[in-house]
Amino acid sequence: MPELVKFKLNDKELTAEKGTLLIEAARQNGVEIPAFCYYPGLSLQAACRMCLVDIEKRPKLATACTEPVMEGMVVWSDNEKIHTARKTTLEFLLTNHPLDCPVCDKGGECELQDMVFRYGAGGSRFVEEKLHVPEQKWSPVVYYDAPRCILCYRCIRICNEGMGVGALGLNYRGVNSEIVPNKGDHLECEECGMCIDICPVGALTSGAYRYQTRPWEMTYVATPCAHCGDGCKVTLSVRNNQIMRGNNRDASGLNGEFLCIKGRYGYDFTHSAERITKPRVRKNDELVECTWTEAIAAAAAGLKAAKTHGVIGSTHTTNEENFFLQKFARQGLKTPHIDHRRSADFPALMDALAGRPATPSALATSRDVLEAPAVLLIGNNPTDQHPMLAWNIRTAVRLRKQHLYIVNRASIPLVAQAEAAKIAKAGEEIEELERFRDALAKEKDVVIIFGSEVKGADITKLVAFGDTLPGHTRYIALADNANSRGAVDMGVLPDLGPGYQPAAQAGMALDEMLAGNLEAFLIVGANPARRYLIQAGKAFVVVQDMFLTETAQIADVLLPSAGPYEKGGTVTNTYGEVQRQKLGLLVNGAKTDLEILSLIARAMGFDLGAANAATQSNEVFEEIRRSVKGYNIAAAALWTGSAVPAVTLNGAVPHRDRPDLIASSNDTLFTSGTLGRYCSALSAVAEAKERKNPEGIGK
Amino acid sequence: MIYGLRDLMPGSEHEVKVISRRFDLPNSASIDTYLANEGYQAFLKARKMTQDEIIEEVKKSGLRGRGGAGFSTGMKWSFVPKNIQKPRYIVCNADESEPGTCKDRLLMQFDPHEIIEGMMIAGLAIDAHKGFIYIRGEYRFLIEIVEKAIDEAYARGWLGKNIQGTGFDFDCVAHSGAGAYECGEESALLESLEGKRGIPRIRPPFPAVAGLYQSPTILNNVETFATVPAIILKGGDWYHALGTPKNGGTKLTNISGHVKRPGCYELPLGISLRKAIYEVAGGMEGDKKIKAIIPGGSSTPMLVPDQLDTPMDFDSMAKQGTFLGSGGLVVMNEDTCMVEVALRVMRFYSHESCGWCIPCREGTTWLKKMLTRFHAGGGEERDINLINELAQAMLGRTFCPLGDAAAMPMISAVKHFRADFEAHLNGNKCPYEGRQ
Amino acid sequence: MISDTLNTAGAIAKGMATTLKELFQPTITEDYPFEPPNFEGRFRGVHVLQRDANGLEKCVACFLCAAACPSNCIYIEATENTGDNRVSAGDRYAKVYNIDYNRCIFCGYCVEACPTDAITHGHDFEIASYETGTLVYRKEQLLAKEPQGAPAK
Repeated sequence: MPELVKFKLNDKELTAEKGTLLIEAARQNGVEIPAFCYYPGLSLQAACRMCLVDIEKRPKLATACTEPVMEGMVVWSDNEKIHTARKTTLEFLLTNHPLDCPVCDKGGECELQDMVFRYGAGGSRFVEEKLHVPEQKWSPVVYYDAPRCILCYRCIRICNEGMGVGALGLNYRGVNSEIVPNKGDHLECEECGMCIDICPVGALTSGAYRYQTRPWEMTYVATPCAHCGDGCKVTLSVRNNQIMRGNNRDASGLNGEFLCIKGRYGYDFTHSAERITKPRVRKNDELVECTWTEAIAAAAAGLKAAKTHGVIGSTHTTNEENFFLQKFARQGLKTPHIDHRRSADFPALMDALAGRPATPSALATSRDVLEAPAVLLIGNNPTDQHPMLAWNIRTAVRLRKQHLYIVNRASIPLVAQAEAAKIAKAGEEIEELERFRDALAKEKDVVIIFGSEVKGADITKLVAFGDTLPGHTRYIALADNANSRGAVDMGVLPDLGPGYQPAAQAGMALDEMLAGNLEAFLIVGANPARRYLIQAGKAFVVVQDMFLTETAQIADVLLPSAGPYEKGGTVTNTYGEVQRQKLGLLVNGAKTDLEILSLIARAMGFDLGAANAATQSNEVFEEIRRSVKGYNIAAAALWTGSAVPAVTLNGAVPHRDRPDLIASSNDTLFTSGTLGRYCSALSAVAEAKERKNPEGIGK
Repeated sequence: MIYGLRDLMPGSEHEVKVISRRFDLPNSASIDTYLANEGYQAFLKARKMTQDEIIEEVKKSGLRGRGGAGFSTGMKWSFVPKNIQKPRYIVCNADESEPGTCKDRLLMQFDPHEIIEGMMIAGLAIDAHKGFIYIRGEYRFLIEIVEKAIDEAYARGWLGKNIQGTGFDFDCVAHSGAGAYECGEESALLESLEGKRGIPRIRPPFPAVAGLYQSPTILNNVETFATVPAIILKGGDWYHALGTPKNGGTKLTNISGHVKRPGCYELPLGISLRKAIYEVAGGMEGDKKIKAIIPGGSSTPMLVPDQLDTPMDFDSMAKQGTFLGSGGLVVMNEDTCMVEVALRVMRFYSHESCGWCIPCREGTTWLKKMLTRFHAGGGEERDINLINELAQAMLGRTFCPLGDAAAMPMISAVKHFRADFEAHLNGNKCPYEGRQ
Repeated sequence: MISDTLNTAGAIAKGMATTLKELFQPTITEDYPFEPPNFEGRFRGVHVLQRDANGLEKCVACFLCAAACPSNCIYIEATENTGDNRVSAGDRYAKVYNIDYNRCIFCGYCVEACPTDAITHGHDFEIASYETGTLVYRKEQLLAKEPQGAPAK
């Protein structure tokens, strides 16, 4: 139990935890002390002087952001002295701040505007000439307008401390001080855009959004990001069915403050010129546009004519769509051959953890990473492949003194935060763990995180190692995409049905299907042709996709599907946390995969339930809640935007080990599988060309 | 051009030479001269004393920080925690940048070994083995002199390992600043010395606990360190008796401005301003009347002729609402335009503000712009009050004392010389133009 | 009876006198539509988007008019001025600026809200149409003429 101290704020008797900063203690008690430079979790600056408070027996006003509360402290944050101090500080700030609010992107959501409105004076006594320096373009996505900058140093700190990148610094002095990239005139960083989000004014603006619209003109949709398996929440700003920007000012997701370049700028595939918005049917060996009716009829006829079917699911579509897809395959087409591209061996992990209780779970959540006293990371390069995980680890190491142990085939950026790191030869990761045994045995609880390097029998060995540790050991397997975990949980596997239950009849795996003699394929939101040679013309191929990918090009019927920001549903991140995906906008011509599947099902005469296009996603979700192990989760929490862990543990999971099928696509911060190709912002930044994951990772 | 001693120290019978006693000797900066004149004897004496005895002796001397704040040196040394498993450091603040002050340069130019010895004694007092002399960037020529002195000391075994067989190790490094007034502030100096941007740190912790590289550090002014050998050699009581009861010893005082013999004088603390100006510095040039006195460098509030009988010591100055500061006495005659003085002072602070906090960064620049306009005849009645209000808005609200230093002279200028400001109104040309 | 007659005649005479007097007064009634009507300066007619002395559009696409509009009839799309294509004096300009006169109530709030005095009320009022589609005015219809002698772009 933390020690509480009593203090007096504005003549009110209050309590706070000992050592809390006065500004935080006041906020906890509902009293706002304004500040620009203070930001929770970042180092203290005491530079903006907005948080000055009057403390009894002090000759000068003190900064609330540097004063810990003490027993018996008497503080005023609301007297005449403070009002004057705030007013003059704001007046000082506005002397060189251009009053171009009408054109400034921040106008309407600017902390300086709010502060002046609340604490400032109506007029200014400043009649001298303002300073002016031209705006600078630091990268295609980050612009800096120095005169607007109020020098709160938040951007420098979030980049140094939060991102561990340190791309920003301070140049010149006095009133000419300005923020500069440490590379001089351009940024060389992760282009995460955190500096833009954290900027209280319009000094740092986003290249993708600047001068397009105003904040009050848009609607805001907070939804899980479409890219990696971390499940960050991104706030999409939508106007007229167009995403104007992605950011994280809502900060209500698992990711807290964090968002990487993919989350922030990687929404532009939605409006890509390469989107297909009309169905196509192959006629005379050419894909020609046609109506939906025609296309659905062609797909149904083709699938009906074939005797054997292969079904390939997606790591990007929703749980509802994947659940419905496996139902379509197993109950409709009556084929056992269903699979998807696997990047983590979840069945092996669930099997190894068989018989563990649901609470406390042996599966760790993303929050657990933030709070765990120690983390053991085997394989993977989270900085690029799971940026939020890397952020959480950095934050925990910095603020909570978490101990990080790394075993990897190459040196990764997180080694900078590690207590100990070991380079291991491929396949020898588990043996190398012995080196950390003594150190780990001293830790209270350990969260073990592993990439696609650890699979099959190695997972059993890893869990055996984890069992020898004294504390409560929890595990995380890292999978590539937004719903990689969901695809496994929903049973898009040849040997397992939903909830890791053995399938009635085991089918062929992905590689076997594509090499075999199946007569028809249904490929939903996947691009196996990128990896496997598919003989076009041999089988009848129905493809549902947003783009004309390699796989779509060999389709006999191509059905344009809606992107992740264009539909409702749920997705499960790699930590097993289920989140609700919200409908952000509609794109003309595209239909959701769920709707397309049910149209085909109806055309083929299958009775798979969920007939009403408007409510089918919810209906399917209700079915998932009822029937899939671990998914009987609190719908209310989900509907209000929380991430709810699905604990998919109990009993052994008899599965067919195929470690050779499990591999990460090793995306960097600037790639995102096939989807990433259509995100022009990701390839626009200079860093995209050079960035590579270290050799050997993810295989 | 390097000035000779006589240009800088004209000499006066009122002087009591303690730290400047060797300045007159030929080749005074060399180690030979130093050794021949009690050099390093204080160190050898201190080596035989315990740490507490050294600190006690310094406390007894009543020595107060000569950089301007006037905090008891002995007290400062005693704050260094004893049981910390960390290296300790001695840092000498030779970033002498206060306008009106040029005392440290004399010590570095004419008797650098005295400073090194003072630092070594401080090293003995807190068990520190590494000293840094942070020299103002503009004092390029002094860096050579100080570095030469350090080299000599190493060559003769007065620095390095096992000094003169006493078993005490001490290393000393001279480091050049890059020309920022702000780096004279102790925590900004430490940041700069660590290779970072020269901005002040949040305190507490104070340097005595977490200073250079987060280790316990004694940071004193050049003059403070230079005084230590004499105190150890002749005793704290002897030194204390030279000054007044609460302000022991002597102080290098720079008298500049419209006086007959401007220069640096080592005067006992407590000598009155009148005596300093009229007797030590030979009175006013052209026997004009005094208009204003800056007592301790440009950042101290100004005094008027009525206050001439104030003794020059820390406490008496504080009673008059100003500070003894670094001892940079600037005397201005009746033909001085106080608006221009304010402008010049503000131009300096606006240029030197580090930019860290808002009131100082924006306030100094606003005032500079306004005073420029005002002095050129573009002033309005309300500007006079605004100058005062803006200075008041900076006072006590900035991150470090630079804001206060800029605000205080403004407030006193408006308070004492409002008539000068009023004379500039209505588009009038500066009434003092051409009168000097 | 006689007095009644006299009274009536008197009343008629009085009435006719007024008529006669007014007959020679200048006409107040305007002869619209045969003659153009006269407006008070503050009459709120169809909006005009003003230009500055250099012929640049005053509108910087701040959206404040749209925000102030109670009938939600203003639609703007903003974009950035570039070196080659400078349309307004600010950092950005209105790529699209539509006013839907099906909805506009001529309240003048947009004019009040405008920080650059770009949108003003003109005196045009003859906008009745048989087709509502023609009542959505585009920027090109609303813009003031380029001033004489404006620098060529």
